[in-house]
Amino acid sequence: MNKNSIDLSIDFCGVNFKNPFLLSSSPVSNSAEMVARSFDAGWSGVVFKTLNSDTVPIIHPSPRMYGYGYGRKKLVGLQNVEMISDRPLKDNLADFLYLKKKYPGHVLISSIMGFSNDEWAYLAKASEDNGADMLELNFSCPHMAVEGAGHHVGQAFDLIEKFTTTVKECVSIPVIAKMTPNITDMTEPAIYAKNGGADAISAINTVSGISGIDLDAIVPTPNIFGLSSNSGTSGPVIKPIGLRFISDMAKCDELSLPLSGIGGIETWIDALEYILLGASTIQVTTGIIHYGYDIVEDMIEGLTDFMVEKKIAKLSDLVGKALGSLKTTDQFDLKRQGCSVYDLEKCVGCGQCYTVCKDAGGFALEWDEKKRQPVLIEDKCLSCMICSFVCPVKDLITFKEMPENWKREDAVVMDESLKTKIKYEPFKNFIK
Amino acid sequence: MDKRFDYSQAAAEADRCLLCHDAPCSKGCPANTDPGKFIRKFKLKNIKGAIRTIKENNIMGGACGVLCPTSKLCEKECCSSELDRPIRIGKIQEFLVRYGKDIEFQVFEKPEALLEKVAVIGSGPAGLSCGAELAKKGYQVTVFEKESEPGGVLRYGVPAYRFDKELLSQELDDIKHLGVKFECDCDIKNPGEAEELLNKGFKAVFIATGLWDAATILSNPPDGVYNSVEFLLNSHTEQMDILNNEVKNKKVAVIGGGSVAMDCAGLASKFQASDVYLVYRRSFCQMPAEKDELFDTLEDNVHFMILNQPKEYIKDQDGRLTGIKLIRTRLSDPDGTNRRSPVEIKDSQWVLDVDLVVEAIGNKAFDNSNDLYPDVDVDDKNLIKASLDDCQTSNKAIFAGGDIVRGPSLVVNAVQDGKTAADAMDSYLKKGRTNNE
Repeated sequence: MNKNSIDLSIDFCGVNFKNPFLLSSSPVSNSAEMVARSFDAGWSGVVFKTLNSDTVPIIHPSPRMYGYGYGRKKLVGLQNVEMISDRPLKDNLADFLYLKKKYPGHVLISSIMGFSNDEWAYLAKASEDNGADMLELNFSCPHMAVEGAGHHVGQAFDLIEKFTTTVKECVSIPVIAKMTPNITDMTEPAIYAKNGGADAISAINTVSGISGIDLDAIVPTPNIFGLSSNSGTSGPVIKPIGLRFISDMAKCDELSLPLSGIGGIETWIDALEYILLGASTIQVTTGIIHYGYDIVEDMIEGLTDFMVEKKIAKLSDLVGKALGSLKTTDQFDLKRQGCSVYDLEKCVGCGQCYTVCKDAGGFALEWDEKKRQPVLIEDKCLSCMICSFVCPVKDLITFKEMPENWKREDAVVMDESLKTKIKYEPFKNFIK
Repeated sequence: MDKRFDYSQAAAEADRCLLCHDAPCSKGCPANTDPGKFIRKFKLKNIKGAIRTIKENNIMGGACGVLCPTSKLCEKECCSSELDRPIRIGKIQEFLVRYGKDIEFQVFEKPEALLEKVAVIGSGPAGLSCGAELAKKGYQVTVFEKESEPGGVLRYGVPAYRFDKELLSQELDDIKHLGVKFECDCDIKNPGEAEELLNKGFKAVFIATGLWDAATILSNPPDGVYNSVEFLLNSHTEQMDILNNEVKNKKVAVIGGGSVAMDCAGLASKFQASDVYLVYRRSFCQMPAEKDELFDTLEDNVHFMILNQPKEYIKDQDGRLTGIKLIRTRLSDPDGTNRRSPVEIKDSQWVLDVDLVVEAIGNKAFDNSNDLYPDVDVDDKNLIKASLDDCQTSNKAIFAGGDIVRGPSLVVNAVQDGKTAADAMDSYLKKGRTNNE
């Protein structure tokens, strides 16, 4: 199998995408001028920035974003208080026509958000009439203060169903419902969307959060002339949340709709993780805000090479492939235990493993001061593996299974004699 | 000389730090500046704490950040070297000290000076460090300096392009803030004068006069031959323009392979000498200067004439230097133990035409230096005999440190001597107080 035999194309609600990589509805898909460049770079489709119907003027706060950094790494998270498109509807629709004319093989998904039933219907119709291949219903913008809009809809499930029904009744193109993660269980609203006729679910929109505080002004960031707000957090920090919600929905038999994965995707590995947990397309914004459109080249190349390596020719064969091993914690085989393994040939002697094992692990390491190396006491290793997370050397610390009869040492009691003095009775469970 | 770090460069570099257990870099610092700790503090955004750690441990932390041969000290021990390259500890340290000024962060509370009067002779790194530590302990400290401004070798022995005087002033301000008094233009040179301070109300004296005489190579040097001490000193005084004129468009040879030789060669190059030659009798890798200094010097367009031994100065009929006679050398056969020494190659003499020579083969004590302190024992090189554990001399009330004890050494070692001496002087004076009670 070689690169040329790999098929990255995917069917999503009956629409063919030449690869699974789309721009999500956001600043990166604000105009045809931008989207055209993204298509040239290799993205297969776009969810255009959410349309507005010109009824209320849209003015973005200023400044409208804040970067959440960690150490040298910039933008591990992004905070934004941006609103839906501030462009006149006619400009956006003209851009639709341009894109469909110039890029007929690319998929144009129109994101819409209404403040009333009629407005949902109006925007849906306008989108379909001007070439949109699909719709995405924005039930999740976290910056809408008005009841019945944005994430307030996403949190009021009957409205999801109502608005989806309305849209489905007036268009024939497939409809995706975009979910907010600012709830506990996403399958429930997703089923409401399905009942309203949604053909697919996309998730997640941004996570409601606060990125930090401007300490000079004592105002949370972004500081909008002395005020701030809970707002949307995106980027790599939210990937674990996105993966969790996608997998929940993928495993829900009652839902069984195609999924578009969103949240913290920058690399082919991030994208693949979403796919393996059930997404068949993936959408990106913050990755592009950080690095530009060209990252799609690395996503395509990386995913292709992976598929060659694993001898999987069709992308659809990867969708949901990791779901089978995703269970509840009570199903683990707790009889099988293991511990860490150290390949000290590679050790640089920093001793971070020793520090964390001592202060946060099982005290399973001693420190050889002369050699500047840890000495592992296997019987004390909790197999938490935190040592391997701080070790700067790749694959120095790994995990191995221990034999069945192996028993881990209990944590030390500082003074056994005090056991005679404790006030204690064994717990009796009276409720049977 | 590469550029200073700005905030983001320093933060990025600190972020590379592995935060080692029992940090080896900290063990590698002769003055216990504790980079392991100040880098951790910086990395965890405790930036004032980081500056505090540096300055409390090493009052000359900025100077050391610039001047330390870090690749032979803290950075040599850095575990990151095993991954890719060591953390640029010196650069981070210099940044943090300078940043302290930018944010107007005052590390020290002004201590109350209620204890005895003590004297420090010499305001180089050892004297400054000792004075600051004593002031922190509550002593009334006076530092005597023979030049017109304090700083010693930091001011008069290092070219300005390498160590800017702004940073020196900043660190001096910290020391003055601690209450240390400076008496400049105060040459203590009369016989016994150092010891007489004990009769003038000072209860203890720290001698840190440094080494200001130069070792020479060839006797009877003609006009046009400088030693490194006068060459560098002149570059800081009113003589600077004269020196600059003398060097400009001339061919200059610097003899030596240490840090001071690199400074002299670099300075000659900055003064627009037409050619600068560095003459060294051993191999490139045997030069005592730090690798970075060697490469900086190469980049200053200095021609390295290694494996060449000076034999004789050539002069014209007016007695003015016109060249040096050199002889080529080879290294002795390796015997597995000693540093391979240079052996002259027969009949290989040649003449290098130069207008000016700077001999930079090391500083030494003036022959009469112990006249100042006749009761204090010195060795055959006129270095004061004092243990590095307490810096105490044969006169119990007199302590000494820095180059006048160690011979040519590093700024950071002098700083440590100052700290050691301050502790020892404190113990000594405490004992005196208890005995008097």
